Amino acid sequence: MPDHEIGRRGLLKAGAGASAAGLLLPRLGWSASDNPVKIGQVDSTTGNFAVLGQSQIKGAALAAHELNAAGGILGRPVQILVEDDAGLPATGLDKAGRLLNADNVDFFIGTVSSAVSLSLSQFAQKNNKVFMCSGGHVDKLTGAACNWATFRVCSTTWILTQGDSKTLVDKFGKKWYFLTTDYAFGHSEQADYTKQVTGYGGTIVGGALVPVGTSDFSSYLIQAKAASPDVLCLLLAGDDQINAMKQITQFGLNNSMKVGGALFELEQIAALPEAARYGVWTFEWYWNQPGVPHVADFVKRYNTMFPGLYPSQRSWFGYVSVHALALAATQAKSVDSMAVAKALEGLTLPPEIALQPGAPTFRAEDHQLLLGMFPGEVNQTGTYPNLMNIYDYVPGASIALPADQTGCKLTYPS
Amino acid sequence: MLLDIIFNAFNGLIVGSFYALMAIGLSLILGLNGVINFAHGGFMALAAYLAFTLVPYVGFWGALVIAPILAGGVGYVVEQLVVRRLYLRDPLYSLLATFGLALIFQDLLRTIWGAQGLPLAIPDFLNQPVSSTYFFVTGYRLFVVALAIISTAGLFAILRFTRLGVRIRAGNKDLETISAVGVNIYLLRSANFVLGIMFAGLAGILAAGQLGLTPTMGDSLIMPSFVAIVVGGVGSLLGSLLGGLIIGVASGVTTAFFPAASEVVIYLIMGVMLIVRPRGLFGQEGLFE
Repeated sequence: MPDHEIGRRGLLKAGAGASAAGLLLPRLGWSASDNPVKIGQVDSTTGNFAVLGQSQIKGAALAAHELNAAGGILGRPVQILVEDDAGLPATGLDKAGRLLNADNVDFFIGTVSSAVSLSLSQFAQKNNKVFMCSGGHVDKLTGAACNWATFRVCSTTWILTQGDSKTLVDKFGKKWYFLTTDYAFGHSEQADYTKQVTGYGGTIVGGALVPVGTSDFSSYLIQAKAASPDVLCLLLAGDDQINAMKQITQFGLNNSMKVGGALFELEQIAALPEAARYGVWTFEWYWNQPGVPHVADFVKRYNTMFPGLYPSQRSWFGYVSVHALALAATQAKSVDSMAVAKALEGLTLPPEIALQPGAPTFRAEDHQLLLGMFPGEVNQTGTYPNLMNIYDYVPGASIALPADQTGCKLTYPS
Repeated sequence: MLLDIIFNAFNGLIVGSFYALMAIGLSLILGLNGVINFAHGGFMALAAYLAFTLVPYVGFWGALVIAPILAGGVGYVVEQLVVRRLYLRDPLYSLLATFGLALIFQDLLRTIWGAQGLPLAIPDFLNQPVSSTYFFVTGYRLFVVALAIISTAGLFAILRFTRLGVRIRAGNKDLETISAVGVNIYLLRSANFVLGIMFAGLAGILAAGQLGLTPTMGDSLIMPSFVAIVVGGVGSLLGSLLGGLIIGVASGVTTAFFPAASEVVIYLIMGVMLIVRPRGLFGQEGLFE
């Protein structure tokens, strides 16, 4: 199933195709001989992570549109080629190979599943192309498994869990039970929470690893109830989270214990009925930041390009991925991956791209963007997009593991 | 711990009766049409999405009746255009064709209703636990079990007491002979396919009430029903029913000891069954042997 160019995939989508395709093609000012800077986006348009992947694709498309309107990268148009990884590492690698060999892309962006991120990271390093990981959170991508070619926009699970672990312990209690998705992302999250929660005086009373794609959580919830924790910590991903929340509500478990965790996304909350919308979570970006410059305008531009939709944190990941590459290429005056990687190290996002109170920087030691966290509580009675009451903004640099503790050692090829 | 196991076994029965409901439509089609319908999950999802669209107009109960009938209509068209051409061919053709259909359904749903998950509203009074001790027995799950029992009993009644049912059973045994005595087997197979799809539709809507709607929902639902059929025995509706209950309970009880294995245990049971008794519990002799 080659869904080669995003325009074609867009056409399939809900009639919005015509406008989407128009926006993604280089604008009229470019002549056919202009040699585009090609960005290969490996992301999920089908499978468990499809909704999140689509948001990252939209964010990247908006960034490409803006860049092209402003003269492209180094005077060359930007072209994004999207391939579907279906949330599977093998598929992701296969598609990345096609993007590299058939389309000669200059950079890679994308991925939602941490498992895909890890394999694409190795692929990128082997082929000397920068991979700007948009949305896979597993710690070791910018930790023990880091490499010179890989950068990451979204947070590590450590940053993510630090966003609200203290709040959860202080507010809701010290006895924790985990329901954790059984792959790299979940394992990483649970290890981080465990370390933080025990550090704050909490105890872990139990937990279960849940296979990806589980639809019936009843038996897990029976176990969780038997352990009678204060906090039921959900570390699930994609559609699994939605299914779990619904069943927790149906069983009335949210009356006897507090539910919370790290990742809960605008797209997921929107898919839940009102009764299943609750809990304390961390957002990595939020569209409603009164008083923060450029944010409202960004939301408006996104609205114009995708009518009826508000940017989620995933949209922002995609948006930053493309803009960061463009900034670095401009600074390096080259699209050579090695030069761009050097330029990305220590790069601070300007306010119109950071779109938050702080100024996130790509840390040179591990290539992790130190973005801020937006912990908050789900706005149960709100309507889309007013689905979250943000408590706070926590600058990433204040909660990230120090660079010397991540286990990352970067070496460049000579 | 004992209470834990009892809870999980009981819960497994609830889950299992749902598997059984899904498996019966599949088993029906496999029996008479001789087609392993990989698009079954697609039909489930289709009916669920149709119900979602219908709920504002006719309410949950109306949608629960109308959507499976509409799905049955789509099933009829699909049978006429695609499935009918597969009857005399190698089973591989039907595998490929229905697998292709499954992908088409999935993309169709994504195109019409979007990739974003959607909630299917169920009546409020069903949406809470029946007692605080047995918190996992919600009104809705009881309703699903009741409906599984009623519709299975209804199907058995149809097969036992109606002319159509007698012909379906006869056709299961020997299609050529009933054709020779004047039964229009093409019509019979169409009717059987539609009946199977209506079961799929019902199961799909019931699943959506608990899990919500996603274009891929059929995929995750269909695998346990295949396992239920293999365990219960290909061609036997009673077997499918029992197969569903067995894997439901096995998976539930496993969760009490080793949660990470709750998924794999149903495939283990299937594997053991295929080695020890390939025809399944109540399967026809010769199939898979």
